Amino acid sequence: MADETTGTGTDGLAGDVWDLLPGYALGALDDADREAVERLLASDADARRALDEYRDVVAAFVVEAEPPAALRASVLAQVQDTAQLHGPTAEAASAPAASPAAPAAPPAAPASPAGPDPEQGSVVSAAGTAPSSGGAEVVDLASRRRRRWGTAVAAVAAAFAIAVPTTVAVQVSAERDRLREQAQVVSEMLADPDSSILRGAVQGGGEASVLVAGDDMLFRADDLPALDADQAYQLWVVEGDGSVSSAGLLATHDGQATSLVQGQHGVGMAVSVEPKSGSEQPTTAPIVVLGA
Amino acid sequence: MASPPVRTSSRESVDALLVACAGGDPSSFTPVYDALGPVAYGASLGVLRDPDHAAEVTQEVMVEVWQTASRFDAARGSARTWVATLARRRAVDRVRSEQAHRDRDQRDTDLRTNEAERDVVVEDVERRLEGSAVRRCIEGLTPTQREAVVVAYYGGLTYREVAERLDKALPTVKSRIRDGLNRLRDCLEVGRG
Repeated sequence: MADETTGTGTDGLAGDVWDLLPGYALGALDDADREAVERLLASDADARRALDEYRDVVAAFVVEAEPPAALRASVLAQVQDTAQLHGPTAEAASAPAASPAAPAAPPAAPASPAGPDPEQGSVVSAAGTAPSSGGAEVVDLASRRRRRWGTAVAAVAAAFAIAVPTTVAVQVSAERDRLREQAQVVSEMLADPDSSILRGAVQGGGEASVLVAGDDMLFRADDLPALDADQAYQLWVVEGDGSVSSAGLLATHDGQATSLVQGQHGVGMAVSVEPKSGSEQPTTAPIVVLGA
Repeated sequence: MASPPVRTSSRESVDALLVACAGGDPSSFTPVYDALGPVAYGASLGVLRDPDHAAEVTQEVMVEVWQTASRFDAARGSARTWVATLARRRAVDRVRSEQAHRDRDQRDTDLRTNEAERDVVVEDVERRLEGSAVRRCIEGLTPTQREAVVVAYYGGLTYREVAERLDKALPTVKSRIRDGLNRLRDCLEVGRG
């Protein structure tokens, strides 16, 4: 049998974990090995494909057998009283679970322009009551996993359609409501025919872009280099006369930052590196300026 | 028994039944149960050997299949494989938790009985698989590969337990199972483009 060498090169450890995939498909691993495999699966699509094949092999062993006749009625009766779970993610399984009350459809009017994704349909509730901001409302979206922005508004729309259901797995309902409101705002921004995206490279590394719609701006940066512990990235709104006002410090996550800024009459945004506590006015040259 | 199981359905039609019941009426699950209940029961029975325990696991699994039907992804494998995987996982969990329970309570005697109970004769397995595609492929394995794979499969054992059972070193058992499953995969033509 040829050796199952994989793209993991000479890394003996990774190779060992690959060797555990058959055992994982058989349910023959102890806890430590199982966790190692799950880490591999989380990061490696080839490993997931290999596992799928091993599962097919294991399933081929099954000799089908007619279950006891009484079981049929009892399963079908239980199914009558059991709600289905929605959403493809395993994480979602822990959330709403088997409450017999909730019927199939999410109880919501899908006002979103982002497409027919059924999960997206649940993004509503407080529609119209968007955060009543008196001035700069800086909302941090960065603490959740995000997709990259595409090169067009459509791509951004798709990205948010995907991102919202994953964040709904967050079990704190207040947090979820907040994210839904933000998603609603972003949906409306994307629906605005006058919206535009400005993008640019960040000096020192990374990319930034901003979606501008009316007085709302959604800033996004990727691959920002890590800063010294006493420094922070600060976001600025650039106004028509060239003056700037702070839009807050950027919380970065793996070099990513997202910030929704509402009700600002800006024509662009800029980022500078400031002391950790932030500055009233920029104290250094901007590392990126996004403007019309 | 009203409707007989649709054992002869093609893979595609069983997959389609499962997809259709996601977001559907509970009555849409009836044909899914008829098509896949025997897979869940067969997989559970293979590990547990006890018909009552296998029936309990089958009930849990088939309700889980209904609840999570929207997570079935035909691109990753057939409905049969999906259900067999879910059933096997639950059955193995049950073996483990029973064993832990037993080990706590009455160590010596029960452990010995337990082992005897779960002793697997390779020939028996091959007889049971008469007519299935896997039978021919199993015959293509070396005797040591066959033994390791069959013991791991039908005992619901961990690698470590298989090694103890066969009195072999753990790495030996690991590579026999890996090589055995690789050969089976090639023989069963389980590739996906």
